[in-house]
Amino acid sequence: MFGPFRITSSLSGGLLWKIPWRMSPMQKLRQRRRLRAVDQVVETVAKALAKKGETLKSLDRWKEEMPTEAQMLPRDKYSMFDRKAKKYRKGIHKLPKWTRVSQRVNPPGY
Amino acid sequence: MSFFRITLHRSFIGMPQRTRDVLSALGLHRRGQIVFQTVSAQSAGMIMKVKELVRVEEVDRALTKREVQDSRRPDKGFWLESRVGALNGGAKAKATGEGEEEVRL
Repeated sequence: MFGPFRITSSLSGGLLWKIPWRMSPMQKLRQRRRLRAVDQVVETVAKALAKKGETLKSLDRWKEEMPTEAQMLPRDKYSMFDRKAKKYRKGIHKLPKWTRVSQRVNPPGY
Repeated sequence: MSFFRITLHRSFIGMPQRTRDVLSALGLHRRGQIVFQTVSAQSAGMIMKVKELVRVEEVDRALTKREVQDSRRPDKGFWLESRVGALNGGAKAKATGEGEEEVRL
């Protein structure tokens, strides 16, 4: 149990990465900023295209389907659906490349 | 004519090949790089593909590569007074053959 030859999961299994169960307040702050930055990009593009009178399918779809940071619930900002997780939810920081991908909507009812 | 001023803010390391291809089509190859694209549905579509990685502004004029470099260059901390020799005793400076520039901090 104690001493130099104790069995821990990292000693017996080698590499062990642990992701905390919940996000820290600072992680959440940065997540909100990233969401807002993406909103800003979409807004800028939409405004510029509207000035020229052009339309873009991907832009229209995004505007229709995706909520902005202000419209999102905290639940959706910081966690996401997972069918294997307890209560079908896991922290969004468990998503691979989570700081560089958009994950805003979840299945209805979950 | 207006332009998108696109800055690659986040690295594309580990991103899918499609995303990397879109970035290179936009002309972005390293983080922090700034490119200008004309406002069109085509460029807007490419920006939408990589919206998580870039910062976008709409500007009236596209800067050249040189102008972008100059705008990003930090202040040197000193400047050269090129006419100082002519102002105080130009003859003396000529006689000693010293340069007419003085460094001010």
